[in-house]
Amino acid sequence: MIEDMNLTRIENTTLTRRRIGLLALAIVAVVALLVSPYRDGITSIVNVGFFNTALVLSVPITLAGIGGLYSEKSGVINIGIEGFLIAGAFTSVLVTGATAGSLGADNAVWLGLLAAVVVGSVGALVFGVVCIRYKADQVIAGLAVWFIFLGLAPFLSRVYWGNINSPTVATFNQVAIPILSDIPWIGRLLFTNYPTTYIMLIVVPVAWYVLKHTSFGMWVRASGEHPESLDTAGINVNRVRYVSIMISGALSGIGGAALTLSTVGQFIGQGQTIVGGDGFIGIVAYLMGNYNPLGTFAAALLFAGLDALQLRLQQIGLDIAPELFGAVPYVAVIIVLVLFGYTRIPANAGENYESGDD
Amino acid sequence: MSDLKSRLPDEVKHILGRMVDASGRERLLISLGSFVLALVAGALLLLVSGAFASCESPVFGLGGLQFCYNPIEVYSVMLNGAVGSPYSLGLTLRETTLLILAGVAVAVTFQAGIFNIGTQGQFIFGGLAGAAVVHYTADLLPANVVGGGGLFALGMMAAALIGALYGALPGILLAYYDANEVITTIMLNFIATAVAFTIVRSFLREGAAVQTTLIPDYATPPAIIFPSASSFSILILVPTLLIAVGAHYLLNNSPLGYNIRVSGEQPTAAEYSGVDSKQVIVRTFTLSGVIGGLAGGVFVFMVLGYWQPSVPQVGFDGITVSVLAANNPLGVIPAAALFGILQSGSVALDLQLGVPRQLAGVLRGIIILFVAMPEFMRMIGRRLGLGESSATSAVTGTEANDD
Repeated sequence: MIEDMNLTRIENTTLTRRRIGLLALAIVAVVALLVSPYRDGITSIVNVGFFNTALVLSVPITLAGIGGLYSEKSGVINIGIEGFLIAGAFTSVLVTGATAGSLGADNAVWLGLLAAVVVGSVGALVFGVVCIRYKADQVIAGLAVWFIFLGLAPFLSRVYWGNINSPTVATFNQVAIPILSDIPWIGRLLFTNYPTTYIMLIVVPVAWYVLKHTSFGMWVRASGEHPESLDTAGINVNRVRYVSIMISGALSGIGGAALTLSTVGQFIGQGQTIVGGDGFIGIVAYLMGNYNPLGTFAAALLFAGLDALQLRLQQIGLDIAPELFGAVPYVAVIIVLVLFGYTRIPANAGENYESGDD
Repeated sequence: MSDLKSRLPDEVKHILGRMVDASGRERLLISLGSFVLALVAGALLLLVSGAFASCESPVFGLGGLQFCYNPIEVYSVMLNGAVGSPYSLGLTLRETTLLILAGVAVAVTFQAGIFNIGTQGQFIFGGLAGAAVVHYTADLLPANVVGGGGLFALGMMAAALIGALYGALPGILLAYYDANEVITTIMLNFIATAVAFTIVRSFLREGAAVQTTLIPDYATPPAIIFPSASSFSILILVPTLLIAVGAHYLLNNSPLGYNIRVSGEQPTAAEYSGVDSKQVIVRTFTLSGVIGGLAGGVFVFMVLGYWQPSVPQVGFDGITVSVLAANNPLGVIPAAALFGILQSGSVALDLQLGVPRQLAGVLRGIIILFVAMPEFMRMIGRRLGLGESSATSAVTGTEANDD
C-alpha cells in the first residue's frame, strides 16, 4: 500500500515536471516566434478572430471532457461521451428545426439546447444502468454507445429529412455582454460570444469548485477511489455514480448542441458525423489536465487552437492540403498521450461496487 | 413464457451440451440472444421512426399517426435481399469475407485484453497500398493472367505490410509509452482517413474524382459460381476461412498464442510467468494489422476495383463481429455471416423500401451493448425459464434479490 503511494507520488512528480516542461517549451516557442522576422505574418494569422474561433471550438471538447472526468472520477469510465455529443448535436438541430416555425428562431434554439441536455442525460442514465445494474464491461459498453449514436443519428436524419445531412436551421446569435465587451481585445475575445460559450465559461470554474470544495465533489472522488469508505459513511455509492454519469451526458448534450447551434446550424451525418472525435479528444483533455476541470479546459483550448489554426490558414488561402492539416489535432492528441499517458486513473474506475448490506 | 423451455427438445440441449462446455454454451446463448434482442430493438426503432418518415402509402395507421415501416416486412426484405438469389448471396458472402478478416483482426487483440479500435485505419491504408501498387506497377507487368496474378500478389503483400506497420504503431505506443490504445487507435483512424485522402488527391488521382486507377480485369479475382456483378470470388473466401482457422490454431497451439491468451485472461500471472508483455502487445498488434491490411486489399481488388476516400466502416463492423464471436477466430466465421446478412440486406432494404441502410449501423451498436452485459442476458434467460442450467445458476445465485 505504502509502495503504491510512493509510486503514485513518483508518477505525479514526473507528470508535473513534464507539464511544466511542456508549458515552458510553449512559452519559449511563442516568444521566439514573436521576436522572429515572421512576426507580422504570425500576428495577421493569430489575431483576436483566431482566439475567438479557438474558444468556440473548445466548447464541445471541454464540456465532454469535464463530463467524462466526473464520470470517471466516480468510478465509471465513459468512453461513450463521443456518442452523447453526437446525440446532442443531432437532437438540437432536430428540435430547433421542428419548432422554429411555431416558436420563432430565438426560442427554438434554446429549446434545441434543452432537448440535447435531456437526450444526453437520459442516454447517460441508460448507460449507467447498463454499467452499474447489469455490470457491463465499461469500455465495451461505451464503445457500443458511440456506435449506436454513430448509426442512429444518420439513420434518423435520413428518416426525417430524407438526407444524411440536415438542412440548415436557426443558430444562436453572438451576444455582447454590456460594458465588459467594450474592454479592448478581451472584450471581443471573451465577452462577445455565443451563449453556449458562456455556459462553458461558467461550467469550468463551477465544476472545479464542486469537485474540490463541496461534499458532493468529495463523494464523487471517494466513489472512484475508495467506495467502501463512502459506503461506510452512509452514502449510496451507486447513486453518486448515477448522478456523475448523468452529468457527463448532460454536459455532452450541451457540447453537441454548441457544435451545431453556434456556427454551422446543421447536423452532418457523413463519416464520423460533425462531432468527428471531439469526445475522444475530450477524454485526452481530462487525462492531460489530470482530472482537473481547469486543466481540462486548458488542454481543450490547446487542441481547439490547433484546429482553429488550420481553419485560419485555409482562410488566408495558404496552399496546404486542408484534410491533412485537419489531422493535426489528432496527431497532437497522440503526442500528448505519449507524454501524459501514464496518468493515475481512479483506483476503482471500471470496477463495479456492490454494497455489503443488500 | 416459461413453457418455452419445456418446448425445447431434450435432444437439442444434449447435443448443444456435448458440443460446448457450460461456459461456452452460455456464451453462445448470450451471443444469439443479443443478436435476437438487437433485432427486436431494431423493430421497435423502425416502428417509432416510421411515424416520422414521409411515405406515400403508410403500412398502417393508428390514432391519426401513420407508420411507414413494417418491421416484419423490413426484416423479410433484408433476408431476401441477402440470400434470395445467387447475386444477393454473392453480395452477402462478399461482406462476410471482409467481416471475417476484420473480425479476426480485432479478435486476436481482444483475446490479449487489448481494446484495439484501429482495424479501420489498417483497412484504409491496406486498401490504399494495394491500389498504389496497381498504380505504379500495372504497366510493368504483362496484361494477362500471369501478370494479373503477380499484380494481385504484390498488392496484397503491400496491403499486409502497411497494415502491419500501421498496426504496430499503437502497439509500440501502448507497450512503451502507456498511451491508451482505445484513444490512439481511434485517432490513428482519423489520421489514416486524412492522410489517405491527401495521398490519393496529390499522387494517385485518376481524372477529376478523388479516386485511384481502376484495377485491370485480369488482376481481379475471378467470379466463380456467383455472378460477376456481386463482386465476390470464392477464391478469396477460401483463404479467408483458412486465415480464421489459422488464427484459431495460432492462439491455441503456439507460444505467442498462449502468451496472448494469458495476457488477456490473467495479466498478473503472465507477468510472473516471465511473459514479456511489451513484446506480446506489439506482436499482437502487428498480427492484427496484417489481417486488417489484408481486408483492405481484398476490398480494393475484389470489391471496389479502385480506392476512394469514403470507404465503408468495415473495421468497426469487425468489432461487432469479434465481440459477437466471444473473440474466438472460429466463432468469427458464423458471426461474420450473420452480420454479412444484415449488411447486404440493409442495402436491399434501402433500394426496395427506402428504409435507410444506416439501420445496420444502429444494430451494430445495439448488438455490442447486449453482449457487453451478460447479467442482463442472464436475467432475460431467467425470465424465459432458461436460467436453471448449471452455468447460469452458479452466477445468478448471488443475485437472487435482484428480481
